[in-house]
Amino acid sequence: MHNTILKEISKIIIPFIQIFGLYVIFHGHLSPGGGFAGGTILGTSLILYRMVYERERTREKLSYKKLMTCMCGALIIYGILKGYSFITGGSHIDLPQLPLGKPGNILSGGYLLPLNMAVGIIVSVTVYFFFSLFYEGEI
Amino acid sequence: MTYAKNFPLLMILILFISAFIMPLMKKNIFVKGLSLFTMGISMILSIYTWIFITKNGAYFYRVGHWDAPWGIEFKIGMIEAIMAMLFTMVATLILWYSVYSVEKEVKDNKVSFYYLLVNILLGSLLGMVFSNDLFNCFVFIEVTTLASCGIIVVKDKKENIAATLKYLILSSLGSGLVLMGIAFLYDITGNLNMTYIHKEIMNVHAVYKNTLHIAAGLCTVGIGIKSAMFPLHVWLPDAHSSAPASSSAILSALVLKAPILLLIKILYGVFGFEIIREFAILNLILILGTMGMIMGSVLAIKQKEIKRVIAYSSVAQVGYIFFGIGLGNKLGLTMAIFHIIGHAVTKSALFLAAGAMIEKSGKKKLSELKGIGKEMPYTLGLFTIGALSMVGIPILPGFISKWYLSLASIDAGEFMLIGAILMSSLLNALYYFPIIVNGYFGEENLAGKIYKSNEKSIKELLPLMMLIIGMIAIGAGSNKIMDMIRIGLI
Repeated sequence: MHNTILKEISKIIIPFIQIFGLYVIFHGHLSPGGGFAGGTILGTSLILYRMVYERERTREKLSYKKLMTCMCGALIIYGILKGYSFITGGSHIDLPQLPLGKPGNILSGGYLLPLNMAVGIIVSVTVYFFFSLFYEGEI
Repeated sequence: MTYAKNFPLLMILILFISAFIMPLMKKNIFVKGLSLFTMGISMILSIYTWIFITKNGAYFYRVGHWDAPWGIEFKIGMIEAIMAMLFTMVATLILWYSVYSVEKEVKDNKVSFYYLLVNILLGSLLGMVFSNDLFNCFVFIEVTTLASCGIIVVKDKKENIAATLKYLILSSLGSGLVLMGIAFLYDITGNLNMTYIHKEIMNVHAVYKNTLHIAAGLCTVGIGIKSAMFPLHVWLPDAHSSAPASSSAILSALVLKAPILLLIKILYGVFGFEIIREFAILNLILILGTMGMIMGSVLAIKQKEIKRVIAYSSVAQVGYIFFGIGLGNKLGLTMAIFHIIGHAVTKSALFLAAGAMIEKSGKKKLSELKGIGKEMPYTLGLFTIGALSMVGIPILPGFISKWYLSLASIDAGEFMLIGAILMSSLLNALYYFPIIVNGYFGEENLAGKIYKSNEKSIKELLPLMMLIIGMIAIGAGSNKIMDMIRIGLI
């Protein structure tokens, strides 16, 4: 879209959307929200960028390969963390777990925070992929 | 040996996590290697699990940090261990076969996604086998549906997309019905763990008779759609015949079977022998199974493409399994599970052999495949052994399940049904033998064909041979396998 107003406004607004998304992800274990909700908010910022700045410029910043690496990495981290938790819990092994911390702090809640972060990355990339597939038929 | 208790969960985790390493790999050969390697490791772990079970008996495994009624639980008994072993072994052999041929049917840049989906599919099937939690099973059903849609559509042709949409819509309907059935059960009993639901149902089944009927019916019909019970099989022929050869083998051998195992768990584990016997639902399964046995074969005779014939034959063979479940006695149930094992090995071998013929000759119509026996004698020979098992020639597993199913129907007092089994066997012969006879014999058929001109190399045929050898071994060792299944049922 060749519209200067749109471009200038979205330059201002996209960082705010992203910060809000990150806030929702990082406070998932303290307040309403979490990985999925925050991930969709992050995803909308990517979608807005794609709509305003068109395909070519978006591809330079958010290449398919980069996004795919992020998503697969997050999925693998999620699987390993949760699998570790499942197996140590299932067979009553006393291996070190992530500390629970003090309730109310951001660094607390054991596995919740890293898992929320992984989910946030996966959801934001997936939402963006879905949009671009329906919008132009390719990523 | 307590480490062995973790192996079932470890299998699922290995398959799921390794799946997502594949899109990051640059060369397809590494993707194939990783897929084969992880499947092989799962196979070894499942064999260890089986050895552990034979020594120490069945056990419950707590997943995560919460105990049974709140957390998820795995139940690993004899049947589950055998099924895990069957699934991973058949999948390993199919993957081995696909390593040589997948590029001919799947585009180069889609190969890593194909193996990703296969790994996820196998992981979720194993999860469905092990899980003792109804909702967890439902989640695995959904994952299975999406992954199997993926491995059908990966060929990217018009017919694939049409078949996949049909499959997706019908399967979603099926999983919706299963979810409603689970909701009814949860409403009555307040539990999702199968053991606890069974305990609660034993107390209240006199009060909630109709609701339990509805729940059992919903689960049966939902799973019936997933595993192609006769009138609900409409998606199967399109999906299985249009998919790549290795996908059709996985779909037909494994994806149809895991939901049936879940149905057995729901009917005989959640409701229990005493309660389910009073329900009309078993009669419904019996009638639909019998109809499937005959109608599946009748429809197969009319088909013109080799893969569609085999796909319709799956409908008939799944009919046998439902027949065994519907008889409602221990022998019938044992034979249903035995037939799952026999059919999984046989049908995957048949699909791979048919895939090899189509790949080498480039033709898929039955009329064009005449005389293929001279060009590909070994492939058609392996196909013949598989077909003989389907028809029911002694020693091979097809005969054994038909024989004992007849005995089971005498036990249940249903003499008429033996006629149905006989008729279905004859009909099976009617569509498998023309393929073989026209392949090997006939002056005009063989004219102009050169001996072994189109044969696959021995290296590529090895997994197919191993499937056939495994099939003969299952037939020869059927007594031991049936004994093991009986241990698992009690």
